[in-house]
Amino acid sequence: MNIIELKDLHKIYNETEVEVHAVNGVDLTFEKGEFAAIVGPSGSGKTTLLNMLGGLDTPTSGKITINNTDISHLSGSQLIDFRLWNIGFVFQAYNLIPVLTAKENVEFIMHLQGRKKNEREARTKELLTAVGLGDRLNSRPSKLSGGQQQRVAVARALASKPKFVLADEPTANLDSKSTENLLDIMERLNKEENITFIFATHDARVMKKARRVITVEDGKIVSDVRKNGDE
Amino acid sequence: MNLINLRIAWRNIWRNKLRSSVVMMAVTVGLFGGLAASGIMKGMVVDMVKNSLENQVSHIQIHHKDFKANNEVDFLIENSSGIIERIKKNKEVKGVCERTKSYGMASTASKATGIMINGIVPEKEKQVTQIYNKLSDSLGNYFISDKKNRILISEKLAKKLNAKIKSKIIITFQDYNGDLTGGSFKVEGIYKTQNGMFDEQNVFVRKVDLDKLLDMPANSSHEIAILLNDFQKAPEVLSQIKPAIPEYFSEAWYDIEPYLKFTSTLTEFMLLIFMSVILLALGFAIVNTMLMVILERTKELGMIMAIGMNRFKVFKMIMYETTILAIVGGALGILVSVIFTWYFGNVGIDISSVGEGFESMGFGSVMRPVLEFADYIQVIVLVFITGIIASIFPTIRALKMRPAEAIRN
Ligand SMILES: Nc1ncnc2c1ncn2[C@@H]1O[C@H](COP(=O)(O)OP(=O)(O)O)[C@@H](O)[C@H]1O
Ligand SMILES: [Mg+2]
Repeated sequence: MNIIELKDLHKIYNETEVEVHAVNGVDLTFEKGEFAAIVGPSGSGKTTLLNMLGGLDTPTSGKITINNTDISHLSGSQLIDFRLWNIGFVFQAYNLIPVLTAKENVEFIMHLQGRKKNEREARTKELLTAVGLGDRLNSRPSKLSGGQQQRVAVARALASKPKFVLADEPTANLDSKSTENLLDIMERLNKEENITFIFATHDARVMKKARRVITVEDGKIVSDVRKNGDE
Repeated sequence: MNLINLRIAWRNIWRNKLRSSVVMMAVTVGLFGGLAASGIMKGMVVDMVKNSLENQVSHIQIHHKDFKANNEVDFLIENSSGIIERIKKNKEVKGVCERTKSYGMASTASKATGIMINGIVPEKEKQVTQIYNKLSDSLGNYFISDKKNRILISEKLAKKLNAKIKSKIIITFQDYNGDLTGGSFKVEGIYKTQNGMFDEQNVFVRKVDLDKLLDMPANSSHEIAILLNDFQKAPEVLSQIKPAIPEYFSEAWYDIEPYLKFTSTLTEFMLLIFMSVILLALGFAIVNTMLMVILERTKELGMIMAIGMNRFKVFKMIMYETTILAIVGGALGILVSVIFTWYFGNVGIDISSVGEGFESMGFGSVMRPVLEFADYIQVIVLVFITGIIASIFPTIRALKMRPAEAIRN
């Protein structure tokens, strides 16, 4: 079953004098359990596409259906709630609240959801252990390496029990070792927990791991390839 | 939710220690300045009201219906002693005295001036007014000798008339029958209250002496003054006295001297207005700081909104931080003010060197700041309101941000 359906999606930026057709007629579907990468050169429209998928940006035209809900017409505050309950985010940087510890950062999103203390604490511990940070619960982001911070971000993204996780250039600021480590963790979560990950990236290491690679150029999909066993 | 938000707010405040400390200090200093000034003002007014009531006005006065308008000696209260006996029975009453009053001229060999002559019964007067406490040892006595025609004048009048203890003063006035009369009085004491205007106008003689000169009917007077245990009971006691002696005009202190009441009320308002203005200014400083904070944390706030923090929670988060800034500074300011008011309330601040002008207005030469619990509560509420209002503008700024833009690299 498709959890995401994009139909003839367009995004035109006309805030500046020049009109930018950042996303230009995209049709795309994702299923539960995918581990997919949207790739393409810088400026090709990956972030714009991912933001619309995540309800951070609204399309100029077209339709976005997530779990049978059309989100293209949701209001601002409806979108905020939608994001909170349905989507996990991992950004390139600035993922964490600097004044909160790793544990508090993960708990924070569950606070937003109003989950109970017991559940919050158990889940936080479980997730931070799963990303290999069981011993860094009380460290503030500034005391963690870039790779560790991204792993906290993954734990945070999963804490809200989202339908899928969107990660925009999650490895852009990481060295090879941290990148590999982060990708392994996400791959494992994908395989063991059937969590859907969608990346926007131009990192070859991510493309290699991905089981589906969607290539965009000038806001259009130019290829959509599924690898090893996936249909 | 609340706790984590408070934790975030608190820790965020200390991300920029210097800036936050400066804002908090500004609030502290501002509040202390405002509270100290208000406290001093209030202390002076409380003192003035207290002195005016104790030396001069007392709490309730009774007159003939027409006496106040004309001040003529023939508008009498008859059967004074009977009325006094009746009033004394009221449990709220501390003291009652009767007076004979007349305008006249006081003159010595060199000078003359218009005065109000108060004929008093010293033992009764002592229960009502504090004039007997306003004589320094070297300046005579308060009707100790029972010799005839003794007079008590103020220091101010003594100077004006060139009179000393034992000086002779000639008093002239119209008697009960409208004839011009007068007598010669010997200065027995010289008093000084805080109210220069009162001092300049009032002299005291024994009622028996004055009554004789005025040819007053027996057992009559012009004024009955009542002191209560608690001046705030005046309306209550007045409502009991009025119907008992409907033929006379009974009046409480706030109607006798409306400016006393007005000044008190005004002082309460002044505190509120004073503090509001100060907090308004401080509010701008806080808003400015918070706008800087929002600008600095654009990406962070964008991220928080992106992952699903709604508008109201964003507002709460900013409001907590803003309010804590105000509250911590405010608490310090109030603490300093409490200590200041307590210390100088006991010790007093001597302003006699600069207080000349004040004294003629009835203010004392020693200031004792007064602030009540309710005043602090008022200020605390204002500080909270400032915090909340000051967070609105930064919140609007934060919510204008589009998360997708904010987190873009
Ligand atoms: N807010 C915006 N206003 C105008 N143009 C924008 C805006 N955001 C992105 N663009 C443009 O849209 C195009 C796609 O950008 P983006 O989605 O960020 O690409 P990518 O993530 O693949 O690098 C680029 O040409 C970019 O300059
Ligand atoms: Mg991008």
